[in-house]
Amino acid sequence: MVYEFRYLAPKSVGRLCAALTEHAGAAKLLAGGTDLLPNIRNGVFKPDYVIDLKLLPGAAKLQYSQVDGLIIGPAVTINDLLRQRSVRRLYPVLCDCAHQLASHQIRNRATVAGNVVNASPCSDMAPALLCLDAVAVIRSAAGQRQLPFSQFFTGVKKTALLPGEFLEKIIVPAASSNASGRYLKLKRIAGHDLGIVGVLCTLHQGRRRYAVSSAAPTPVLVDGFSAGDGPEDVERRVLAAVSPISDVRASQEYRRHMIAVYARQLLQEVR
Amino acid sequence: MRISLTVNGQRYTVDVAEHKTLLRCLREDLGLTGTKEGCGMGECGACTIIFNGRVVNACMILAVEANGATIETIEGEATGPGLSEIQTALERNNSAQCGFCTPGMVMSIKELLRDKPKPTIDEMKEAIEGNFCRCTGYVQIIEAILDLTGRSAEKGELKHV
Ligand SMILES: Cc1cc2nc3c(=O)[nH]c(=O)nc-3n(C[C@H](O)[C@H](O)[C@H](O)COP(=O)(O)OP(=O)(O)OC[C@H]3O[C@@H](n4cnc5c(N)ncnc54)[C@H](O)[C@@H]3O)c2cc1C
Ligand code: FES
Ligand code: FES
Repeated sequence: MVYEFRYLAPKSVGRLCAALTEHAGAAKLLAGGTDLLPNIRNGVFKPDYVIDLKLLPGAAKLQYSQVDGLIIGPAVTINDLLRQRSVRRLYPVLCDCAHQLASHQIRNRATVAGNVVNASPCSDMAPALLCLDAVAVIRSAAGQRQLPFSQFFTGVKKTALLPGEFLEKIIVPAASSNASGRYLKLKRIAGHDLGIVGVLCTLHQGRRRYAVSSAAPTPVLVDGFSAGDGPEDVERRVLAAVSPISDVRASQEYRRHMIAVYARQLLQEVR
Repeated sequence: MRISLTVNGQRYTVDVAEHKTLLRCLREDLGLTGTKEGCGMGECGACTIIFNGRVVNACMILAVEANGATIETIEGEATGPGLSEIQTALERNNSAQCGFCTPGMVMSIKELLRDKPKPTIDEMKEAIEGNFCRCTGYVQIIEAILDLTGRSAEKGELKHV
């Protein structure tokens, strides 16, 4: 890195919270680093302190139980999800999204928590967490609070995390297990690429939901469909919920068009 | 900060600046220049190494994060007088021109074959999706993997990767 910073690796949540309080505004947390380190290199972030959270006890915990659901610690990587049999069996939607994120090397390092805190509109994990009613467990020196992901994303690269807070774990409820669904991600190439748009459709106990990435300042959840909704209804409701922009990767018109195409296709496929 | 790490079976203890990438540490402090820096930000895969058994981009890891880690790089590949099996297959199939992508490509193929000794063609493509090659067009690289997995007979059938 051209930019110089200090590296801290606290070994307890208490020390991490203390470091975050002490260096508030001057510190950045480090998980997989696949977003943070390129951003420091490019001068987007200039932290005085980089605080690694991978040495926290239980940071790599990935555990399912019927009582607590799936618990995803802050050091759990995208490929950790894909490699765990219980996740593949119970949360196929999570795996479908995870599998389409970045490249194999990056998936070995990038964390689920880092992906959502990053809060990019094109986050590939956010659609799954939104549709599956996942909850963010947020921690600071002041204590712990929980927030559903439907309230977590507040703007482009902005979250509801307050200064001094970090994402301690993600909980995907047991009630969301066995949801079926499919994520269609439009990219320029078959290999790794950020999405032009991404549309996830899930169906769980008769309830249909959509979540769309790269189509608004935040990932968008579209809920409240009824069983009799036809392709026109679905297309109209999904398009009403998004506000894509034109940028280097695609025009607004193309994005809207493809969101509609995918929404209709998924209505047929996810049954 | 002082760190200890094992690279290709050899233990090293080095003092590194806390903001230095693992890639720079391998190249500049340990003299292992086989691993390349292309983009320096996760796009190209020239810096691919095996870190605690998994391929990663060494340009997006801090050297201090590698304290206690076990690392494999291209320098550990050919242990005898000749090339390794993977290198031989790449050579036989003309899978390198400039060779800049090759050290990383070898690491990705190595992890693939450890995890999945009989990969499908889609799994082969996925294993190297993060390794850009601007010379060969990838077909020859997939052909080398077909050779390595006892499927040489299918080589002519690959049209488009
Ligand atoms: C070439 C390339 C391709 C990519 N492709 C994709 C893609 O297809 N889809 C996609 O969604 N993303 C993609 N990304 C972005 C990135 O890889 C992912 O967002 C990744 O999941 C980030 O996780 P990380 O662990 O590496 O985060 P880090 O880089 O470690 O952290 C990301 C941000 O979150 C903060 N942070 C991390 N963990 C916590 C926590 N527990 N609590 C509070 N703050 C925290 C950090 O301070 C930082 O600001 C790509 C990146 C690159 C370089
Ligand atoms: S140099 Fe690391 S991915 Fe390009
Ligand atoms: S051989 Fe030149 S980039 Fe692959």
